[in-house]
Amino acid sequence: MNGMNPTDEELVARAQDGDASAFDVLVRRWERKIRGAIYRIMRSDDDALDLCQETFLKAYRGLGSFKQEARFSSWLYQIALNLCRDRLRRKRGKTWVSLEDLDDASGAPRNTGPSALDLIEARDLSRTVAVAVAALPEDQREVIVLKEYQGLTFLEIAEVLGLPMSTVKTRLYRGLGQLKDQLERQGVRSATVVRPQQA
Amino acid sequence: MQCSDFREDMLDVLYGESGPAVARRVEAHQAACPACREEMESLATTRRSLQAWRLPEPARRRLDRPWSWAWRGLAAAAGLVVALGAGLGLAGSELRYENGRASFRLGRAGDPELRALLAAQEQRHQQQIAALRASLAVESPRSDDGRALARLRDLIRESEARQAVLLTSSLQDLSEENARQRRYDLARISAGLSYLDERNGKHVAQTTELMGYVLQAAQKK
Repeated sequence: MNGMNPTDEELVARAQDGDASAFDVLVRRWERKIRGAIYRIMRSDDDALDLCQETFLKAYRGLGSFKQEARFSSWLYQIALNLCRDRLRRKRGKTWVSLEDLDDASGAPRNTGPSALDLIEARDLSRTVAVAVAALPEDQREVIVLKEYQGLTFLEIAEVLGLPMSTVKTRLYRGLGQLKDQLERQGVRSATVVRPQQA
Repeated sequence: MQCSDFREDMLDVLYGESGPAVARRVEAHQAACPACREEMESLATTRRSLQAWRLPEPARRRLDRPWSWAWRGLAAAAGLVVALGAGLGLAGSELRYENGRASFRLGRAGDPELRALLAAQEQRHQQQIAALRASLAVESPRSDDGRALARLRDLIRESEARQAVLLTSSLQDLSEENARQRRYDLARISAGLSYLDERNGKHVAQTTELMGYVLQAAQKK
């Protein structure tokens, strides 16, 4: 056991034994990532906030029945994705892509770093990419988000989605192909100079 | 082997998850297949473009402040207060906070009654004036002006005294009626708030439960 930096498994075991502070550490460790994933799937701050909170509540309540056969993080992503799917199902036919929520603050001036033109271009590209990802079929979007923005391995994604790895790769390949076409239609051919920090 | 047979291996290489043997196999195929080489480059370019999608500022700010969840509860409460205020305002009611005391009044309930009371009083007043004119007409035009004026003043004074008593009594009745109505309405509002509170109780409990963890986590930072 690593006392200074316990693993998820150790923390889960302690939480299951009634150590509430262990779950605090898990929340701190994963909250940002989970909320980022939910945001990229739902593209709504409110949904990200709501569903992330609900994810951890569900996880806390389900701790007793959680078997450590799967990774804790995979289990969290599973819960979060299921919540996203439920909400998307309820929203279907009611809302569609909103350009307003794509408004990021990458244009905020900084003393050093990219020029104003770079920032404007990056902002446009950010919006274009967001719209392109939102236009993907749900199953491809999930894989793209988990792979590109969450940095999960193919094995982890297969675990989260409960799918064979070959299916995960097929969805990713198709998703990338569709994104490539979409971005080319929008005149995007290469990445910008502004490299963001991703959640 | 066909190009499609290399697809999964190609993805492994693209994402840095391949072993050395797979990497060599893909490299060898691409050396002999310009189409696959081009596709690999195209996928890598797409990947770089995808990294341009940044989280909007509000989302990032919230990610940095997990305890901002607490504001959701407060925001819901504020929304309820605004909605309640708007409803009461439309109903002509008024909620005031003065000198450390809150008071509530249902605005338009008493207005028609007050208007009816004043109309009745005006009618009586007109009748009395008409009677006065009639009594003056009966008296001789040659009668003493001083006596007539005194009589007129007496009549007006008596009329005003009667009206004042009547008005005081009516206003007292109206005030009591308004107080009863106010108690009844406050009871209904209280019951409504209790109902809403019960409905929201589950959500509030959830928020509180999680906030406990978040606050503890923040303290430990």
